[in-house]
Amino acid sequence: MFGHIIRIAAVVALAGLSASAQTATQSKTRAHVQTLASEQLEGRMAGSAGERLAAEYIARELTRIGAKPLPGLTDFFHSFDFTAGTKDAGSTITVTRAGGTPRRFATTDHVQALSFSDSAEVTGPVVFAGYGLVVPESQNFGYDSYVGLDVKDKVVVVLRYFPEDADQKTRAILARYSDLRYKAMAARQRGAKAMLVIAGPRSPNAGATIPMTFDTALAGSGIVAASISGEAGAAIFDGVADNKLEDVQKSMDTGNPHASGFAIPELTVAVKSAVQRETQTGRNVVAYLPASSSMTGVERPWVALGAHYDHLGRGTNGNSLAAKEEAGRIHYGADDNASGTAAVLAVAETLAQQPRGRHVLVGFWSAEEIGLIGSNAFVNKPPVPADQLAAYLNFDMVGRMVDNKLTVQATGTSPVWNRIIEQANVAAGFDLVLQPDPYQPTDVASFNGVSVPALSFFTSTHTDYHRPGDTADKINYDDLDRVVGFAAAIVKRVGDTAEAPQFTKVDQQTDTAGRAGVRVFTGTIPDYATNVKGLLLGGVIGGGPAEIAGLQKGDVIIEIAGQTIANIYDYTYALELLKVGEPVKIVYMRGSARQETTLTPGARK
Amino acid sequence: MNTRSGLILLFAIFVNGLSALIAQPQATPTPERDLLSRVRRLTVEGRRAGEGYWSPDGKRLVFQSEREPGNPWYQIYAVDLTTGDTVRISPGIGKTTCAFFRPGTDQILFASTHHDPQSKKLQDEELALRASGKERRYAWDYDPEMDIYAVSEKTKAIERLTNARGYDAEASYSSDGQWIAFSSMRDAYNRTLSDAERKQLDVDPSFFGEIYIMRADGTGQRRLTQVNGYDGGPFFSPDAKRVIWRRFDEQGLIADVWTMNLDGSDQRQLTDFKSMSWAPYIHPSGEYLLFASNKLGFENFEVFMVDVAGTKQPVRVTYSDGFDGLPVPSPDGKQLAWTSSRGGGREGQIFLAQWNHEAARTALAAAPPR
Repeated sequence: MFGHIIRIAAVVALAGLSASAQTATQSKTRAHVQTLASEQLEGRMAGSAGERLAAEYIARELTRIGAKPLPGLTDFFHSFDFTAGTKDAGSTITVTRAGGTPRRFATTDHVQALSFSDSAEVTGPVVFAGYGLVVPESQNFGYDSYVGLDVKDKVVVVLRYFPEDADQKTRAILARYSDLRYKAMAARQRGAKAMLVIAGPRSPNAGATIPMTFDTALAGSGIVAASISGEAGAAIFDGVADNKLEDVQKSMDTGNPHASGFAIPELTVAVKSAVQRETQTGRNVVAYLPASSSMTGVERPWVALGAHYDHLGRGTNGNSLAAKEEAGRIHYGADDNASGTAAVLAVAETLAQQPRGRHVLVGFWSAEEIGLIGSNAFVNKPPVPADQLAAYLNFDMVGRMVDNKLTVQATGTSPVWNRIIEQANVAAGFDLVLQPDPYQPTDVASFNGVSVPALSFFTSTHTDYHRPGDTADKINYDDLDRVVGFAAAIVKRVGDTAEAPQFTKVDQQTDTAGRAGVRVFTGTIPDYATNVKGLLLGGVIGGGPAEIAGLQKGDVIIEIAGQTIANIYDYTYALELLKVGEPVKIVYMRGSARQETTLTPGARK
Repeated sequence: MNTRSGLILLFAIFVNGLSALIAQPQATPTPERDLLSRVRRLTVEGRRAGEGYWSPDGKRLVFQSEREPGNPWYQIYAVDLTTGDTVRISPGIGKTTCAFFRPGTDQILFASTHHDPQSKKLQDEELALRASGKERRYAWDYDPEMDIYAVSEKTKAIERLTNARGYDAEASYSSDGQWIAFSSMRDAYNRTLSDAERKQLDVDPSFFGEIYIMRADGTGQRRLTQVNGYDGGPFFSPDAKRVIWRRFDEQGLIADVWTMNLDGSDQRQLTDFKSMSWAPYIHPSGEYLLFASNKLGFENFEVFMVDVAGTKQPVRVTYSDGFDGLPVPSPDGKQLAWTSSRGGGREGQIFLAQWNHEAARTALAAAPPR
């Protein structure tokens, strides 16, 4: 009730704000951005009151523009359930040696369920399975931690990460299969009842349990999985003759595929995992502008535009990049993604005043920042079937154009894109950067996944990315309005052609089996838009390892720890293999000068 | 060595192979912005595009691009700079290169091999070769079937202007539309060659490239240069009193920009970088010319400019990795079209920018004497 009153008051205030802002300027986008990135919306975290206000603002604007609810819907809201957070609700383990006294561990510093764990209680004998890594046979690289081990109905204990001392090539392969979900899947497939993870004494975060990570799955992964402390691990290994955990880990760390695990005799472990998932309802805002002419003979009669409108709230969900002194402040998200939301509204407004050869669907996605959840919910149960969509245009961070550069992503999804982009850009006049890859960390990936030819617009990242400094006053409105004109021209060219663009499946560049994830913190902000050989830094985070190493905006990293870096993929990959606290040589170009420095990665928890 | 454009192919390949080439990131401010503002990419479709030349009213650009599934080679297109619509000008068969609008008419000239009965077969062979994953390291072969044509946009009538055996191409009109300057390798085919010359023809036919002039109807063909090595890429000065072109040495490694009278007299060398300086084009003010050179690195071409008498040290215009060349100012002198690999990848595409004429004059005035 209290929340409700506040909400109504804020809506009234917002309505006033947008009206005055619109009379103050000719920009098609400024008022939208200023409203969406205002204090009152509190960073629009998915499921929050601020996000609901944003949704209502968007719905009001859609009404003003003359958009209609999608067929089958009575209003502009498309709701879906998602997991907004998980917490450990009292997991325990009890280690019992034959004839000994049970030792019970109950606090989260000793035992903590993994966020994807089932909630259940299981008991069984224990098998240590090394790093718990299984490399698929298709990789032609024999590595299977389970060879010779019978883990059926047992509790499997595995080490976190991957062998610490293996050579670069081996680490590179193993790292891909060291994701905890992937390890849990391997254990489950072999019949294990539970998987316990220990960060070995020779690894980063040694002996620490793994904080509950943000995980948006609605259900568990079919196995009990928890991390345990070094002390709990010692209780398990205590009875193993000559097998201190550190020595055991050392024998595994060369990456020798023949170093095998072993059953731990005369020991049972009872694991109780308790994961509490907080389910919330998210709301996409969706609408359409009906075609203005007959649709006879028009193939795939819809064309869609979209942008996520959620952001990080106060940055408490783990993907904030706020510096220490900014932590907890509102992350306004003016560029990310009030700019894209404003662009979609403005394109819709433009198209509403023109003849339309196809229905124009507009979608404003919630819960993008926590894993493209809103757009996925939409494409999984679409009010308009995906095979009726001729194309999807996505806008994510389009408000910070520099040097006339506009990045267009996912151009490989249709053979017609380059021609249409060329034609539309003759009038728009951008210095385009084209990226064929649709596997981008934005909602375009959801539509590519259901075979819709798609494009995504992006004006590159900046030092305010995912920080409280991403504010409306820093948006480049003139160029944002130009992006609107460009996109409207593309929609028009797609809309006015009876044949729909043909979909091309682009091969994914990275392995999808699961990855170790970057476990180090370097404080670098890559510039994704500029084509250079190497990794161009769009900035460095104040006080981070990169800044301490003397790196700065504009530097191009070309080598890390002996690995040459040609692009962002190489870079991410190289980062996965770094060790916390272990200095590495970085070679970079500053202007035309080749320079070297040493960077010491910090830990990313 | 090659056409106004063929150089791009060769050097783009080198560029890609060299990891040492990781030069400045383009996000850093460069002096480029003093002369070029609002840089924009014009061509996107197809593997590559280049040689963009303005219509006399500045509203269209004619260019060559590899963009049709059935033909692996350049065809000629004209883009309307107001609507963004593009039409193909050339017949679609065979190889083409180097188009130019004829002032005062609806004609566009270009060089083409479409009359060659082998054209379709050669296209299919090239497509099959590329489909097999291979690519000719160096695709420009100075096809002796290349001849110069002019097509009327209204009637589509195609007029063949040259028919000598040997590569005839790289043609441009004078500002009154009455004369054409071009490059031809006919000297290698219209007489008996010595053994040494025959060997030379096998290795590099461009050695025989010379500058010619003719009337717009193809009559009165006259040879203007007589020096061994590839003379090519001729354009008229804005007052149509002189021809500007580039001359390679006999080895095809060093090129410089020259000018001469329309009868071939008074040949003067304007550049002397001891590198490949080529693709010159005079700004409509008549005060200075733009050209491309690899002075700063064998595989790094940049656009430079120099006063029209060549008395100054050339001033650098572009600052980006890879290829920047074939600069062509718009008829009003306020824009520049050029070909660049700055968009990423190995191939060139056409870029446009606002050209700051006053800043160019200032920079040239401040340049030291050559």
